[in-house]
Amino acid sequence: MERSKTYMNSYLAGILIGVFMIAAYYFSGEGLGASGALKAVVVTAVNDVNHEYAKEAHFFKARVQNEEQSPIKSWLVFEILGVIAGAIISAAIAGRLKFEIGKGPNITSRSRLIFALIGGILFGVGSQLGRGCTSGMVMSGMGVLSLSGFIGLIAIFGGGYVIAYFFRKLWL
Amino acid sequence: MEEVLYVSGKALPHITPHLEVWGSVIALYLFFGGLAAGLLFFANFFYLKGKADFMPMTVKVAPIIAPIIIILGLVLLVYDLHHWLYFWQLFLHVRMESPMSWGAWTLSIIMIPAILWPLSYLDDTIEYLQNRNPKCKLIGLFTWANNLIKKLPVLPWVMNLFNNNKKVIAYLTIYLSIILGVYTGILLSAFNARPLWNSAILGPLFLTSGVSTAAALIMWLSNDHSERKMYSQIDLFLIAVELFFIIHLFMGMLSGGVAQVEAAQLFLGGPYTAVFWVLIVGMGLVVPAVLEIMELSGFHIPIGIPAFLILMGGLIFRFIMVYAGQASGFNIL
Repeated sequence: MERSKTYMNSYLAGILIGVFMIAAYYFSGEGLGASGALKAVVVTAVNDVNHEYAKEAHFFKARVQNEEQSPIKSWLVFEILGVIAGAIISAAIAGRLKFEIGKGPNITSRSRLIFALIGGILFGVGSQLGRGCTSGMVMSGMGVLSLSGFIGLIAIFGGGYVIAYFFRKLWL
Repeated sequence: MEEVLYVSGKALPHITPHLEVWGSVIALYLFFGGLAAGLLFFANFFYLKGKADFMPMTVKVAPIIAPIIIILGLVLLVYDLHHWLYFWQLFLHVRMESPMSWGAWTLSIIMIPAILWPLSYLDDTIEYLQNRNPKCKLIGLFTWANNLIKKLPVLPWVMNLFNNNKKVIAYLTIYLSIILGVYTGILLSAFNARPLWNSAILGPLFLTSGVSTAAALIMWLSNDHSERKMYSQIDLFLIAVELFFIIHLFMGMLSGGVAQVEAAQLFLGGPYTAVFWVLIVGMGLVVPAVLEIMELSGFHIPIGIPAFLILMGGLIFRFIMVYAGQASGFNIL
């Protein structure tokens, strides 16, 4: 297959993620996560603009109590920076590093971006309601045998399968 | 009972426990200054090497950015002044021992070649843009400016004088651009009360960083393969020099007095550690260096990625140095 030359074997990649998960728990005491990094950025921005509000608001207050330390100083932020750097380098090694908008053949780039934005917002809200995204809740959660991780897995991927039917025209 | 009033330098707002005088405006100004210095340096250097026609982006097109960002930087500088209306006083004083005076004068003198240089190549710039990017909206603006210049009374004569003495001017501009690049660091290192800044290596470090951001910008803008490749190599060299200077900055600090050691600790375990080593050294120097090595060894890398990382690294470097420098002090006293 042509693809297998440029993409890593997915079983191997899965095992590697597991290994990194163990390493992340060992070194940082936290698992892997993606939405957490964005949350840290949002919390920091709100805290810098209006510290008094952030200190009181339910969503922000847990992270801004320590006045000495900025909420941006989180392991997840640095993990995501590493993910970006690593993704660029690995894509370059595989020879598929370029700027493009991945989309179905029958829609414009513009509608792809609009739907991506809507999807991103929904996923952002959902990840905060579920206290974590695919990586933060499902993978890290399942890594420590948390029940919510398994329920999250079913909900995220099951929901994806069900909803995908209605939006199939975006990709087909 | 007699009242005794104690006045202490330890209770000054904005100065203790640490300086809070300079902010993002100054960091941005230093970034623009270094970038402009680098752009002018490369333009004049490669002009003198006789490469004007082989490296059109470097010599002819990119220098147009220099006066724009110098003006932007000066606007920021004036904005930062407490008494805006007194800014012109900087240009009426020559103080040999003050780096700010040197900087103000260098900036005002370098503005002349910085403006005249791109103007003298305006025809070539328009042609370059028409060939490479015919839809570019700047073409109309440049053509209008070009026609205007030819109609103005004194300017054609000035341009003639400039073109006839271009070689001498290029030598002078290279010299001035190096002073400008060094000045962005010396400005900080003249503060002897801030141990992090007060290091002789800051001038060369800021110069290297500024020139490296300029190389990244030209590399990004250029369409020419050989020009890009050369800037990849230049950038790699400059990144190596920058890392060398950064290591020596810390070596010098750690072998200094207690205040210097404390200043170095801001980056070696203190509050700026993560952001300095991850964002500046990691994402701003090492990752682009890796990408450029890969590019030179045949992998396909969109040049915008390393260029963007270097520019961001340079910008964040100035922010961190401005803020961390103010946080450092002779707290032991």
